[in-house]
Amino acid sequence: MAKKKLATVWLGGCSGCHMSLLDIDERILDVAKLADIVKSPIVDGKELPEVDIALVEGSVTSDEHLREILHIRHQAKTLIALGDCAVMTNVTGMRNYFPLKEVFETSYVNAISNDSEGKVPNHPSLLKLNDKVVPLQEVVTVDFVLPGCPPDADTIFYVLFEFLNDRVPDLSKVKKLKYG
Amino acid sequence: MNTIKVTINNTSYDVPANASILEVCKQVGVEILTMCHLKGITDIGACRLCLVEVEGVNKLLPSCTTKVVPNMIIYTETEKLKRYQRITTELFFAERNHMCAVCVANGQCELQELGYKVGLDAIRYPHLFPQCEVDTSHPWYVIDHNRCIMCTRCVRVCNEVEGAHNWDVMGRGHQVRIISDFNTPWGESITCTSCGKCLHACPTGAIWPKAIVQGQLNKNPGMITELVEKRCMKL
Repeated sequence: MAKKKLATVWLGGCSGCHMSLLDIDERILDVAKLADIVKSPIVDGKELPEVDIALVEGSVTSDEHLREILHIRHQAKTLIALGDCAVMTNVTGMRNYFPLKEVFETSYVNAISNDSEGKVPNHPSLLKLNDKVVPLQEVVTVDFVLPGCPPDADTIFYVLFEFLNDRVPDLSKVKKLKYG
Repeated sequence: MNTIKVTINNTSYDVPANASILEVCKQVGVEILTMCHLKGITDIGACRLCLVEVEGVNKLLPSCTTKVVPNMIIYTETEKLKRYQRITTELFFAERNHMCAVCVANGQCELQELGYKVGLDAIRYPHLFPQCEVDTSHPWYVIDHNRCIMCTRCVRVCNEVEGAHNWDVMGRGHQVRIISDFNTPWGESITCTSCGKCLHACPTGAIWPKAIVQGQLNKNPGMITELVEKRCMKL
């Protein structure tokens, strides 16, 4: 069996899901036997090449994330939403109850830790935040969802290992469903 | 005791007359999902999770508020019901702001448990993300409307068990809210006795004591049932 190509992507999340992914510890060797990790925050790489499996952490919060997720959908055979943020926005979505302007001003101008000159950064090279944070499945078709904040390492390994062996995992059957 | 014959999921049972379908199912060991039901307080059929199919009736009936009648043929596990249960659960999550990761009730939450039971992995409906208030005016307790699912267990327990009727319901549709007195801050309530029964009745992390942090909530809704049963005991 030819080696699969695996990518892990970090969109609007806290990287906790990637930490949990690293918590699979020595089992990463089992993954490495079956797949090459071609793109990941822990791998040096530029554009996402065509991959068999893409694990995507975090929700879509900005124009850049939107462009990225559309590109990932185009390149990946199987797209897995990893973690609560990707599945239902979770903490990232907590700014959705407020107008974007208010969110910016709270963080950059009115926060107690700011000095009196605090202003909202607006350099043209910065990404533009969307008004509302949305989960992945609102913009692309997601093939499998793996909720949890973060999903624990055993569950991530189980899902990954099943996909690498061309099986479809079933979280409800193995009682691994978890949010929060 | 008067008993009647009913059929539940193709098995025939002798059950007490004048009982609800839910009570009967619990008695014979048929599991039914519930959320707004709490033994000891009046059932109102608010959450629509306990819906069952009854032969000869062309709509789904809430089992908590429907009484059994002789020769009733009841189905509790059909594909149709499972589909509706999943939809209902998704709508609970989509309606307000349920962020399990930062919730006091994480791991102790009946809504989370329900999600696991119906196999909810993702929500297919757009989240509403309403702007909800968090009332911290009470010296000991907090009500966070973001996490409320409008089961009204707090309203009923306050009215029926404590007899204070601090809580009530205001508004309609998705703008419906639990209110204290005439929509005034909880801390200013003249009816609240600070008994804490609403805390224990709440299935989610909507009402909780200030003294705890994320994931530390410890609820005991069975306490309310026990209280009611002990009051009714003939000494």
